Amino acid sequence: MSTAAAVEASSMPRKRFSGLRGVRWRIDLGILPSSPSASIDDLRRVTADTRRRYASLRRRLLIDHHPPKDGDSSPDLTVDNPLSQNPGMHELLAPIVYVLHVDLDHLLQVQKPYEDCFNDEFDGITLPENNMFSNYKVKRASDWDSGIETENTHHIMSDGRSLDEIDPDTRDILLLSDSYGAEGELGVILSKKFMEHDAYCMLDNLMEGAQGVVAMASFFSPVVGSSTNLPPVIEASSALYHLLSIVDPFLHAHLVELEVEPQYFALRWLRVLFGREFCLEDVLVIWDEMFSSSNCRLIGDDVEYNFKVLCSPRGAFIAALAVSMLLYLRSSLLATETATTCLQRLLNFPQNPDTKKLIEKAKSLQELALVSNIVPSSSQRDSNKGQFRVSSGYSLPSGSAFPVPALHVVPDSYWEEKWRVLHKDEELGEQSNSDQGSAKNKLAEKLSLYRTKSEPLKAKSALNRSSIRQILFDDVSSDIGAVENHVTSECCEAPIDSNNLNVGDFPVVFADQRSSNWIVDETLMSGDNSVVVSKFLYPHDIGNEHEIDSVKSSVTSNSFLSDNDEETFNIEEPCSQNVSNELAQDAEATSSHVADAVPEQRATPIHWKSFAGIFQWFWKFGRGSNEASCESQSSSDAPNTNKDSFDTTTCDGTDNSCGVNKRIEVGDKKMIHTLRNLGQSMLENIQVIETVFQQEKGKFDSLDNLSNNILGVKGQSTAISALKELRKVSNLLQEM
Amino acid sequence: MAHRVDHEYDYLFKIVLIGDSGVGKSNILSRFTRNEFCLDSKSTIGVEFATKTIQIEGKTIKAQIWDTAGQERYRAITSAYYRGAVGALLVYDITKQKTFDNVQRWLRELRDHADSNIVIMMAGNKSDLNHLRAVSENDGQVFAEKEGLSFLETSALESLNVEKAFQTVLMEIYHIINKKALAAKEAARTAGPIAQGTSIDVSDSAGGSKTACCSR
Repeated sequence: MSTAAAVEASSMPRKRFSGLRGVRWRIDLGILPSSPSASIDDLRRVTADTRRRYASLRRRLLIDHHPPKDGDSSPDLTVDNPLSQNPGMHELLAPIVYVLHVDLDHLLQVQKPYEDCFNDEFDGITLPENNMFSNYKVKRASDWDSGIETENTHHIMSDGRSLDEIDPDTRDILLLSDSYGAEGELGVILSKKFMEHDAYCMLDNLMEGAQGVVAMASFFSPVVGSSTNLPPVIEASSALYHLLSIVDPFLHAHLVELEVEPQYFALRWLRVLFGREFCLEDVLVIWDEMFSSSNCRLIGDDVEYNFKVLCSPRGAFIAALAVSMLLYLRSSLLATETATTCLQRLLNFPQNPDTKKLIEKAKSLQELALVSNIVPSSSQRDSNKGQFRVSSGYSLPSGSAFPVPALHVVPDSYWEEKWRVLHKDEELGEQSNSDQGSAKNKLAEKLSLYRTKSEPLKAKSALNRSSIRQILFDDVSSDIGAVENHVTSECCEAPIDSNNLNVGDFPVVFADQRSSNWIVDETLMSGDNSVVVSKFLYPHDIGNEHEIDSVKSSVTSNSFLSDNDEETFNIEEPCSQNVSNELAQDAEATSSHVADAVPEQRATPIHWKSFAGIFQWFWKFGRGSNEASCESQSSSDAPNTNKDSFDTTTCDGTDNSCGVNKRIEVGDKKMIHTLRNLGQSMLENIQVIETVFQQEKGKFDSLDNLSNNILGVKGQSTAISALKELRKVSNLLQEM
Repeated sequence: MAHRVDHEYDYLFKIVLIGDSGVGKSNILSRFTRNEFCLDSKSTIGVEFATKTIQIEGKTIKAQIWDTAGQERYRAITSAYYRGAVGALLVYDITKQKTFDNVQRWLRELRDHADSNIVIMMAGNKSDLNHLRAVSENDGQVFAEKEGLSFLETSALESLNVEKAFQTVLMEIYHIINKKALAAKEAARTAGPIAQGTSIDVSDSAGGSKTACCSR
């Protein structure tokens, strides 16, 4: 089954009853038929049936207090567990009741112009306000639909318009509330009299999930789920960390490091479906989206999955929204040092957030959530899977679905990338020595601004990172989308303005040659190798346009966060130095991860390989990062002792590879000139590195005991050979 | 924005609030940390978190308080909830005998999951509802002495003894830590040349307050 198609279908705006949220929810929750061909009469009949069922249930419960033991088990839950005993359940009911009320208000508004029609000469007595039926007796309207001709036909409205002339929405509403239609009053869909019945049915379907995946009642239950050893709400909490670990491994690692277990905050988020995190209006909009995502299980019974909640688009949306919220708070969370402060922020979501952006982001992650849940059927991985399931909380399915690297590796690869981008810019700036582009100035302006804001920093570089990033993010969080675009373009264009030689043209070049924009986007914008890699590990969906788009969007939007970090490093020189040391340490770990990912594909389908090929090609030529990856790969034994050298080489590598691409596209002399300069400076840098390397070697001999990674002879030689390679490249460049 | 990393404290203590649902834990918390009380406050779902900084003997103590929903007790919230907790406020409702009877169960829970040296204060809350009292103050006192707990009757509504309850717990923790630090110094001096002993003691005292207790 195509998950993408299902998501698309389920998230398609439903035009029908657009003004009547309560009716739409009843359709989405599976109470009313969802087929567009269902007539108003069909809806009315179903409505009447559900009300009859509730009425008989209530009668039974009121007459004999024993809970029914017969087959009808679904109502038991709400009866056996009075709402008061389960904090949260009534908070799920409240919006439902509210929505039903709003629909009735809407009905009254719509009826107003036709008041004469409804306020008929039935008996001439105005009945009390609380009886809705007396207020809009639709006796006259009855024959509109039923076709029964009465002696005085009222096809003509009081103001001279016929029923056919009024707009379809209004017509629907009038028909839905016509007490002379199918099933009579019991079939009146917008009915104050039966609000209790309707609210019950909606809550019941929400709680029980209507045979679907997400059944809210299970989130209140300590009963361990069938597929895992965890209660469903804990499993669902883990699912959102699972998604977060793919989308933003750095943030995920930070939360894990602080021992912020997902259920500490997700319990509340999930149980009341975000009802306590947002104001009512926002909750309604979020629920619109949530309910319109199908709750049907998309994954076949024979397919292995990680988390039950992620088996339906609705469950995936719930997890995706939670992740979207985490990303919204990203910098604020990264700035926290203790679980308590972090959780305080998580449970005090900002007032008036940009709900629309949050939802958009969630929708872009929804597909990824669905796809990442599928465990590739491979007997080799079953054992891994078992292990991961036993461990609770935030465990990563690293061994099972795809090779997510060790926790501390991923985030640093991320930073490594950011750091490279930064240094690339810096290097370019220094080398050109010419006029600074406007974009760059703008950046600098920003940075000086940030500097004034930033706190005095502690020695721990992790703290530096977080605190600054948090400041940066304050801007970002105000408008995710805008910043996304802004930063994206800035990242691409800033170098163009300031230097002739730049990465700015690069994506264009690449896109032309490959006609696969999305790859470019991903790698250029995101520094997040793990996302990229994991994407390729979902063989089922490669080639599926929708999936690509959605992953792309998730990746690019993820990158807007990281691009700020790039600025961060510009601000705090000492900070970036600190960090760079750490990052360099992990450079080889990261790249080896990337490298490992390729050969480790056991059940690799053919097209995966082709993509991987493109990817490697891209890495090779596209960008400095891969240059460094290859390099550190080759010197994977070289430990962090020569980190300084790696730092510098990385920058040069970046310049180099960009230059190559530039040449492919444009062959103008100016470029070649710049390239030559570049090569020259590369050479200079290499010389510096070599000196440093020698010094470092001496230094670290004495510190061997403190370092886990001892610089072995082999490592030295590898590193030296890597440097030689670099020299070759620089020579090559010079000869251009 | 005010998301700054602050290090303006000398000690960071994690305190957990436990007790049956409806005894007023969240209001005790809001009274202590924000001086607020809400009669119709929503029941806690999962856990809630708050911090407050107080001064003890010239030292700045930052209390991180974790407040669980009473219903969660043995299920969704894992034992990690108690990890790093150095103090606990065990609350019952003086108008509901059942909540007092359950104190024993909560103590067992603490014994099973929390550090054995955790400082426990038992608080009989809602002392403003004296006319509805079901548990006498003496019963509470006797029980507390038997179990070796500190004890106070509190009223979050009237703001009675709430501050004192937390302060007592924090003070006790502070003194224990200090004693440990002194003992460690002493041990370091007497043990002298034994390098092993030194390193352990140092981590226990100096680093202990900031690392072990801050649940990082």
